Amino acid sequence: MIARFFLGNGRADGGRHQASLGALAPAGVAATVIYVLFIGLPIVALLARAGQQEGFLTGLTGELVLQALRLTVITSVVSMMVVVVVGTPFALLLARRRSTVLRVIDTFVELPIVLPPVVAGVAMLMAFGRNGLLGPALGALGVTLPFTTAAVIFAQVFVAAPFYIRAARIGFAGVDPTYEEVSQTLGVSPWATFWRLTLPVAWPSLLTGLTLAWARAVSEFGATIMFAGNLTGRTQTMPLAIMTAMESSLGSALALAVLLLAMSALALAALSVLLRRTGPTA
Amino acid sequence: MSGQPGGDGASGRFGVNLGGFRMELEFEVDAGRVLVLFGPSGAGKTTALRTIAGLVRPDAGHIDIAGRTVYADGNGAGGRPIWVQPHRRGVGYVTQQNHLFPHLTVRQNIAYGLPDRRSEPARQRVAELVARLRLDGLEDRRVWQLSGGQQQRAALARALAPSPDLLLLDEPFAALDMELRRELGAELRATVRQFDVPVILVTHSREEALALGDEVQIIDAGVTVASGPPLTALEQPGRGRVARLVGVENLLEMRVTARLPQDGTMVCAAAEHLLETPLADGCAVGDPVTVGIRASDIILAAGPLPQSSARNTWAGVVSAVSPRPPGYEVTLDCDGMPLRCHITGTSMEAMGIATGLPLWAIFKASSCFLLSE
Repeated sequence: MIARFFLGNGRADGGRHQASLGALAPAGVAATVIYVLFIGLPIVALLARAGQQEGFLTGLTGELVLQALRLTVITSVVSMMVVVVVGTPFALLLARRRSTVLRVIDTFVELPIVLPPVVAGVAMLMAFGRNGLLGPALGALGVTLPFTTAAVIFAQVFVAAPFYIRAARIGFAGVDPTYEEVSQTLGVSPWATFWRLTLPVAWPSLLTGLTLAWARAVSEFGATIMFAGNLTGRTQTMPLAIMTAMESSLGSALALAVLLLAMSALALAALSVLLRRTGPTA
Repeated sequence: MSGQPGGDGASGRFGVNLGGFRMELEFEVDAGRVLVLFGPSGAGKTTALRTIAGLVRPDAGHIDIAGRTVYADGNGAGGRPIWVQPHRRGVGYVTQQNHLFPHLTVRQNIAYGLPDRRSEPARQRVAELVARLRLDGLEDRRVWQLSGGQQQRAALARALAPSPDLLLLDEPFAALDMELRRELGAELRATVRQFDVPVILVTHSREEALALGDEVQIIDAGVTVASGPPLTALEQPGRGRVARLVGVENLLEMRVTARLPQDGTMVCAAAEHLLETPLADGCAVGDPVTVGIRASDIILAAGPLPQSSARNTWAGVVSAVSPRPPGYEVTLDCDGMPLRCHITGTSMEAMGIATGLPLWAIFKASSCFLLSE
């Protein structure tokens, strides 16, 4: 299922073609079985243990869980709004214009994907922290960022935006600019052309990128704990709450884990349904 | 039939620079008529269309569409620079790959350029175009479910829907097979007449230019090298450069040996080959001339016609036969002078033409034309 995200809307031949693997077939089957077990077993174990763990149900409705859930939903939604508003025009520019500067920026955009999140957190402290590069300036304006909910959003945007920008850039690049020109000759302004043509055609890519970015934001841990800390109700998102709960209440930790798992599965399912409804657009 | 605006034509004269390529074009086309820009690839035909559509900005001249100036460099009589954006020009643009919008149905594609797409007039307009371009029953299809011909008709319908003042067609049939081209060509002509819109059509196919054009401009390396009615410009080009561009199959280097004013002809020779051509005023005996003969104007026969009005009869041997859809091209070696002739498959079978067969090439003096340059 995840593979669909990276390979696009399914296989090019609609899955009809059965390539002959020859002698590789047994190895392929064995590898598949091992891999499915490797991924599946921990998930089954998690669900099985949660089912019988004392304090799981009370944990589900407990204050720790609810506060973390609320905070995670709010921060991730705000992060995604920031990512879409800034990332969409940026991705369009990257897809449409050719220049050396943009090529360098294009490479730079993907840095947060490979950068360890903890490093990102330290870097953000150095930039926006009280003693950071912009600290005095922010302080003069009466703004403190570290260890606030805003810092959680900063961390999420930092690590998650590349996933959306990358997918959006590929999506926009797939729209031949001649379509946009034809649209304009039909009396549709460049702005309206973007809404009526470019955006709908690139939509599956944008949606896929947004889902990946959201999943990354929701699971954000390292940068958040460095830059925003672990304050219940203010900066303690679900991954942080799981770590905290593991020390005191396994039930609550499992409750959070199952909730996160459910959210991720739901996002995948929703994406799959939405992509299918959009249909092939090639 | 709803009334169409754009009773006026379009005209202009502009220069445009595009990545080191310089193009100069002067054009004029009336409503309901088709101006063909003919030329080899790379001649600048597409650049010309894109400039007129406003997708490329020229650096000099002016462009007028339906009595409105959409571009002026400001150096002309008006004195004020004018630039109208593509979406305000009222120009329909159909590309070779049709560029139908993949996320929309046929109906939505056609309605795309209409101001109020869900209104009753818009619905009627779409229905009218669907009927005109024989797309009935396909309205709710996605564009990739259409055949190539249907896609081009849908693209044409989409371009015509907002009642453009000028229609630009860039090799609209190049991706289609012969038969479909002819069919769509006829349909295009009828549609253009009905909608009374001026059309500029770009093509590198001589057949298409002949079939569709009211007027032809032959373009090479960014400049117009010849223009006029299709039959004159394409079939009897006056200059060697143009003849090579339009693909005159036989170009013979000869010398005038006699003038026959009483017949309106003259005799030209190359080695022992003699040819009777129309009399040219500027030619004296002894002058070198280039004579053009279209391959389709030559009759092949098993023997010399005993009595015929054709002035030229050459004997030769078939040296090559190659398919040239829908017929064949036969190369006849007439004592070292190759002549290329076009015949149908039926003729070829009936005459049993194969390499080595002796044949006679017969053509009228008026099928020969003289080229300058």
